[in-house]
Amino acid sequence: MVLSLKARSHNFWISLVLALTLLMVGCGGAPKQESRWDKAQKESTGQKTDKKEDKKEDKKEDKTTEEKPSQAIPDKTAPDAVKPVAGSALNKFFPAPGDGFERVASQEKEGAAIYKLKKDGKDAAELSITDTANNPGAVDKFKSASDKIGGFPALEQGSTATAVLVANRFQVKAISKNPGFTKDNRKAWLGKFDLKGLSALK
Amino acid sequence: MSKPIYEIIDELPTSGMTVRALNALDFVIPGQWENIVGFENTIKTITGETDESMVQQIGERAIHLYNDKSQGYQTALWIYQKVNSAGGALGSAALANKFTESVSFLSFLNRLTPKADNLQAIDLCLKIVGEVVAYTKINGIPGDGIAEFGGAIADYGNASLMRMAALICFDGVIPLGPDFVLKVEDMVSKFQPSDLTSHPGFSYLSSFIPGTDSFGQLGFIRQSFGSIRDWMGSFVSSHSLTQNVLVSNLQRFIEVSESKLDYVAAFLDMTTNYYEHTGIQTLARSLVERAQAEI
Repeated sequence: MVLSLKARSHNFWISLVLALTLLMVGCGGAPKQESRWDKAQKESTGQKTDKKEDKKEDKKEDKTTEEKPSQAIPDKTAPDAVKPVAGSALNKFFPAPGDGFERVASQEKEGAAIYKLKKDGKDAAELSITDTANNPGAVDKFKSASDKIGGFPALEQGSTATAVLVANRFQVKAISKNPGFTKDNRKAWLGKFDLKGLSALK
Repeated sequence: MSKPIYEIIDELPTSGMTVRALNALDFVIPGQWENIVGFENTIKTITGETDESMVQQIGERAIHLYNDKSQGYQTALWIYQKVNSAGGALGSAALANKFTESVSFLSFLNRLTPKADNLQAIDLCLKIVGEVVAYTKINGIPGDGIAEFGGAIADYGNASLMRMAALICFDGVIPLGPDFVLKVEDMVSKFQPSDLTSHPGFSYLSSFIPGTDSFGQLGFIRQSFGSIRDWMGSFVSSHSLTQNVLVSNLQRFIEVSESKLDYVAAFLDMTTNYYEHTGIQTLARSLVERAQAEI
């Protein structure tokens, strides 16, 4: 009888501890796993709660990895803000379809126009003009550009994209959507854009 | 605060009723749809990039673009979610999320109520209107966008094409038959604004339907349907879609009965959320493609 009471008391404590643990987990007691995207999420939703910690983390990261440009969209209401051009103003600088490629409009937003090149009904490449007024950090990479297309600085970005910077403002890109569309194809198509016309756009 | 876009994409299921039902339509558009889930995986699959630094930059830019409300991506997601729920009228999206495993058709039979044809027609139209408006939000087309949408649908691929295929098959052919386009057109032409306002899902969808009042909104619905009626009709005939063909293909993935077609439609409505699932995938693709262009 005594043993049984002891056993019951033991069980009671185990149950209590288990219940409390579950309650803590349920209330968010368990730390949420950090994601590589949390920083961008906080920056873009104006969360300032742990800014100090972020700064510390930034410094640590800088030591181990190369510095990455911020992907933030600038505040367009700031007095010195450069207003991005309308996406529709960019359409006329794109090359005409040809060589068996069909050109299909994909996106047209403020400061961005994107087309797809299709061959035999399949996506071959994506062609785009974007205004870096929406993303000023994108210009930095061209400082080390050694190549030129149409007289403007050009570079390879990652393994599928070739980019040209026009008038230090407009980024023109060709991105392969299948391996058959090579680096040479990208360069050739970038050369077909009206880059000079685009350089006069304000 | 709303859920981060990367969590929404991370949480897309890889199995369950929605994925089974969509896989059953692979025979209609072979190889067009792949169930791409997970934010990182989406970036890598769509861009073909393996360089982690590039993946990080694209992902961060996509998050910034999504969180800027003026870009329209959040509204598009909201539409995909609300239209999905309105179709079931009983909150099917919430229910469908529970069906992560296969469920038995027969065990559900007593909980299913087939919809009247006119209700089914309104559901179908609301989904088409949702598609038009979400398309304009994602792609940045000004105005009502009906003409642009009517032209763009011919170039639909991937998740967008699968969503339209599912709309035609699950909300058109199975409940109403292969001539559903004619049936719905006839019903829509006779609709009064009160048919809309009395529809259970309309009240909380009406805010996104262009039109100053329910007359105007009914006009927009008719125009939206009209803009793709021919495309839908030729989709049905070119793929020889019939109720029997569809149900026999569904039976390879889901346990359903050929003898109760009305119930099959209601069952799919209740246990799947194809519209939201593929809507998120469409949104993710556009976000990633734009992010890659802008970084």
